[in-house]
Amino acid sequence: MTRTSSLMLLTVAAALLLAALPLVLPPFYVRVGQLMLYSAGLGVAWAILGGFAGYASFGHAAFIGVGAFSAGLVETRLGGVPPALLLPIGIVVGGACCGVLSALIAYPVLRLRGTFFAIAMLGVSNVCAELTNNVDFFEGSLGLTFPSVVPAGLDPAIFFYELFLVASLAVLLIAWKIRDSRFGAGLLSIREDEDTARMLGVPTERYKRTAFVVSAILTGTLGVIYGHSLGYITTDSVYRNDTNLNLIVYSLLGGMGTLFGPVIGAFSLVFITQVILGRLLDFHLFATGLLLAFLVLAAPGGVIGLVRGWRQRRRRSGAAPAE
Amino acid sequence: MNLIAQTLADGMVLGGIYALAAVGFSLIFGVLHVINLSHGILVLIGAYLALIFTELLHVDPLLTMPLVMAALFGVGYAYQRLLIQRAVDSSPIGSMLLTFGVALMLQNVMIWVFSPDMKNITPGWAFASFKIGAVTFDAVRVSALLASLVLLSCLAALLKFSALGRVIRATAQQTLAARLCGVNVRHVYALTFAVSAAFAGAAGIVIGIILPFSPHDEATWTLNAFVVVVLGGVGSPAGALIGGLLLGVVNTLTAQYIGPSFPNVTMFLLLVLLLLVRPNGLLGNAFSASR
Repeated sequence: MTRTSSLMLLTVAAALLLAALPLVLPPFYVRVGQLMLYSAGLGVAWAILGGFAGYASFGHAAFIGVGAFSAGLVETRLGGVPPALLLPIGIVVGGACCGVLSALIAYPVLRLRGTFFAIAMLGVSNVCAELTNNVDFFEGSLGLTFPSVVPAGLDPAIFFYELFLVASLAVLLIAWKIRDSRFGAGLLSIREDEDTARMLGVPTERYKRTAFVVSAILTGTLGVIYGHSLGYITTDSVYRNDTNLNLIVYSLLGGMGTLFGPVIGAFSLVFITQVILGRLLDFHLFATGLLLAFLVLAAPGGVIGLVRGWRQRRRRSGAAPAE
Repeated sequence: MNLIAQTLADGMVLGGIYALAAVGFSLIFGVLHVINLSHGILVLIGAYLALIFTELLHVDPLLTMPLVMAALFGVGYAYQRLLIQRAVDSSPIGSMLLTFGVALMLQNVMIWVFSPDMKNITPGWAFASFKIGAVTFDAVRVSALLASLVLLSCLAALLKFSALGRVIRATAQQTLAARLCGVNVRHVYALTFAVSAAFAGAAGIVIGIILPFSPHDEATWTLNAFVVVVLGGVGSPAGALIGGLLLGVVNTLTAQYIGPSFPNVTMFLLLVLLLLVRPNGLLGNAFSASR
């Protein structure tokens, strides 16, 4: 109990600190910060299904794209609405579309397990991307311009930074609540052994589907904000296969199945790729691949796994002389 | 009528090549239960090696096939022994991500070495063609198809009749039982990977003859292989052939009758539908990992 509440306090303090940061940071780092917060939010939303329940999706970019495009298509048709209302409307529309889409495909897709689920989701993401690109109504190949929602007098970079911060914090808190609930325990039991969980009376089908829909809605919401922060999107800027991959890598890097793992993973990966490797574009793919291979072979538990293992070893060596 | 016949014929030719490009992926999937996302890279390495050998030796690209296959056989064996083996027994996602990491690195290396530009190894007789009835065939495409059919038959015979094939099939069916009977499973895994890499290399040559290629194509060939395997079923050359032909025909029919930008849509729709309706593929033996 005390550990959870102190962690909660720490999170709030960190969030307040992050909220104050753009006042002192140079503009480039505000952009990097936006990307970090956005990625962390996506990573946590992905982990509700992929980390807790063990259903690693390889196609969550589908929901980013569906969210951003549905919101954009609706917003551009609302001429007379005041700009302050546009973003909330967009978020509701984007979230609803992702919710409906995920609820529709949840039943068939979640019958598959492991890699088959991952690849089926990749297929879903690619079908959505190709349809957006090729059906004229969606304007995917031409591109879609979002109406501006930034209040007058505010720097757009800082505005979106704070928006991403709020959204990602909300996602984190939702995931936190889920993990500490009966529902979350059910998801963990699915990850550990789905058949046994089912035999013991856990409503695995319902839990999986709920987790999938929640994860999709949160991802879609972040996608809507991301679309606004870009201002102009095409199919290629939201349905990105590297996003599909990165969402797995965030959890893998931070610690698969943990709450803060994706946050740690997203922060460090975005920092590495944007700041350290920013000038070495030729080296980018190679470094990502190397990191991926290293993680799988040497640190399958991620950063949190390493820390936990180290603590356990220390505790054990500390306890040994006393006996 | 002519148009349909021509479209179907083109689809079949394309499908034969898809089948050859996918058969190695299918074999690894069936025996090691690893989704090899670096398969497309192996295909491209084959194409680039053929490019190098053709320029060095001044021979027809198809004649470089033994050299390329031998080289990739070695590469595949080492790759499995040194890297994949460490991840085989971990989670399926783990080994999949490992191969993806390798694919990213190798793609980057290929961009450094060969430049990101399109290359091709089209031979001198590329523009010859002949007619059967009203249907036109390009000589180069037909020879590519023939090469892939011959290679697929060889692989089928190898798996069916040779001692190595028997051991590979045994390992695929019951790894534990095979080990108890004295099969060196690690060695068999590595040999399977080597055979699969050799066939990927051969596919690379065949693809290079009919299409230009660049380091960015690797994802296309990996995905194609995956779709073919899902369509046809895991672990058998016959399944790969059925899946490949089906994919080729569906692709050309969609491009002809719905629109040139739609083959990807139908391909992925087909993939998702088949995963849902029949996860073991049209000719597949059931594999339990899917559900």
